[in-house]
Amino acid sequence: MYEFTPVGWLKHCVFHPVEGFEDLRWKKQGSMKISMLIVLFLFIAMVVDRQLTGFQFNDSYVKVFNVVPLIVQSVVYFFTWVLGNWAICTLLDGEGTLKKICIYSAYSLVPYIVCTFIAVIFSNVLVQDESIWITAIQYLGIGWSVILMVQAMRAVHQYSFGKTLASIIGTIIAMLLILFLAILLLSLFQQVYVFGYSVYTEIMYRIRG
Amino acid sequence: MSRNKISLKRMISAALAAGLALTMTVTAFADEPYTAYNYDYWDDAIPSQSAYRVEKTVTGADMGLDRLSDPSDPLYISDDAPAKLSDAKDLFYDQDNDTFWVCDSGNNRILRLDTDLKVTGCYTGFTGSTEISVGEDGKSTFLNPNGIYVKKSIFDDKLYVYIADTDNSRAVKCTVESGTEMTLVQEYTKPDTKLYDSETFNPSKILADKAENIYVVCKSVNTGSVQFNKDGEFQGFYGANRVEVTAAVIAQKLWRKIASNEQISAMTRNVPVEYANFDIDADGFIYTVTEAANTTTDAVKKLNPAGYNIWDNAVGDEYSFGDVASEYDSTTNKTYKCRLTDICVSDNGTINVLDYENGRVFQYDKLCNLLCIFGTKNSTSDQAGSFLGPNAIEARGNEVYILDGTKNDITVYTETTFGNVVHRAVLLYDEGRYSDARADWEEVIKRDGGYAMAYVGLGKACLNDGEYMKALDYFKTAYDQDDYDKAFKYAREEWLRDNFTVIMIVIIVLIALLIVKAVLKKKGIKLIKRKKKEGN
Repeated sequence: MYEFTPVGWLKHCVFHPVEGFEDLRWKKQGSMKISMLIVLFLFIAMVVDRQLTGFQFNDSYVKVFNVVPLIVQSVVYFFTWVLGNWAICTLLDGEGTLKKICIYSAYSLVPYIVCTFIAVIFSNVLVQDESIWITAIQYLGIGWSVILMVQAMRAVHQYSFGKTLASIIGTIIAMLLILFLAILLLSLFQQVYVFGYSVYTEIMYRIRG
Repeated sequence: MSRNKISLKRMISAALAAGLALTMTVTAFADEPYTAYNYDYWDDAIPSQSAYRVEKTVTGADMGLDRLSDPSDPLYISDDAPAKLSDAKDLFYDQDNDTFWVCDSGNNRILRLDTDLKVTGCYTGFTGSTEISVGEDGKSTFLNPNGIYVKKSIFDDKLYVYIADTDNSRAVKCTVESGTEMTLVQEYTKPDTKLYDSETFNPSKILADKAENIYVVCKSVNTGSVQFNKDGEFQGFYGANRVEVTAAVIAQKLWRKIASNEQISAMTRNVPVEYANFDIDADGFIYTVTEAANTTTDAVKKLNPAGYNIWDNAVGDEYSFGDVASEYDSTTNKTYKCRLTDICVSDNGTINVLDYENGRVFQYDKLCNLLCIFGTKNSTSDQAGSFLGPNAIEARGNEVYILDGTKNDITVYTETTFGNVVHRAVLLYDEGRYSDARADWEEVIKRDGGYAMAYVGLGKACLNDGEYMKALDYFKTAYDQDDYDKAFKYAREEWLRDNFTVIMIVIIVLIALLIVKAVLKKKGIKLIKRKKKEGN
């Protein structure tokens, strides 16, 4: 049983929150290519949500469009999540590999991405009095994705439910640590660069006399 | 050949000279002393056109104050009557008689001016039955009068002058007898009741409503303005400000729950800030301004007769007054925060708010839409139209008068063509006559393409006339989401109505296809045979 194409497996996981990821693991399925595509779509969903939401619902500052925060909010957060989860769960006897965590996490993001697109389409045909539909769809997407994410983490590491929740909280803390260290590193390297550059200018002044 | 060259050179140089001369004459114009700007949807300051220009500045000499020391003149006061203003605190425009009244506080006198701002009366005191500050000639003199209000009574049709005689701790109601004489009608002193718990009674601003109830703003009384009835009886307090809720106030409220009585008595009390000034409009609503630099909640209030604020942001409205951000000036190394010191509601409902700190006038329509900002404070030069200590503002027709207590003059601002068009449009707009205002708004946009309110006005006109798509465009330009939403509702309805047949056909075809598909599947008929399945 369970002979699916890679996309079929994705569909199976999304629509079977209870057993889907267990089946995926049992059959050793899951495509890295598709998961990368999903992350790309996550980024696109962010951009679309900011730029194409109907005018009457769009509260973003339209004078400037900066793509960097959106990349950070989608791609960077995702990979920090994967890395943090891998780091925590390796210590906590998790069975997931880095690749598997990446694939399973990406698969569970699909409802959120799809619902964001649907909400954007809705926001272009609805008025503010009917905004309850958009909110409902957004909550549906988030809720579904959260449930899938918990299930995915449970399946990939073969944890109990409680341990999954604990590992997720640990992952969030690990994410914060990683981001903090990354920013620290970035600013330190910037200072090193500034130091190097001032040494360079100093030498150049001396050479020129 | 060479001759040709020379003549060509000459021609070119002559043409250049002519061109230069032409451009020079064109560029010679006088600019306003201020930079006009406006705020957009995101509260970013954007450049705008000047809506007012400086007409003239009038000093004491221009008013003809030297007449006061001329014995042959009917306005003669004394030989040493100063011929200039000194620390003038208040200006009032009496619409019924078309006269101006100035509180010349430093010289302890009240001046009456005509529309050209020439003096027609000077009052240093009044006669009547009072015991305060009575001189040898039986005349009670003013001492640092800070506020004045003039109103024709609806009871006996007489003109009454209300004066806040600050340092004499009283407010008075007088009638005008001549160019130099006033007679006391009613004197209001510190209320002799336990309700009034302040030590002092120093009225600084005064006004009267139609029923001749007197409202007095007193220094260091923060429970609102003191209200007297027509007969001079203390009625109570009116329209107090609220305490602004800051983190410090909340923290102190929590501390009070656990602190002992001794500790509580040692704490600073959180009391509201008293308001600086007020004005009353034709409908009897009182508008107040509060000077305190960080009061965003009660900076400008419109009070109903019960003393409640109609422009209350706590109930979900978003009114903002004055400058959004504080401003850093590098020449004086100071940060200027808005300090709204006077408010004036003109007869057509336009509200002018004067900012003491930056010398700016913020003009709003009656619905609190910012119309224009003009005027400036200039610390380095005495350019006409810039202020040092702007104390009071009054509006008369399309002119705005600003009294400067430090430069001791009155600056007259008159509206430019741009200002005129804006005011015309706004007047129609506020009456709801959007379509009539259309031509004016289009004129406004021609002169200032960044004027957001014009796009809202045009959008509403289009909405009125049923041009929904155009309305959407205008609202989008002005970034007016709520009105866009309204227009969108109609536009959507119209679109559905126009395309109803097509939509229905598409839906029916889709349903039919689904039914056919279901039937075919049930019967096991395959239209497209898949090779892969066959292979299996």
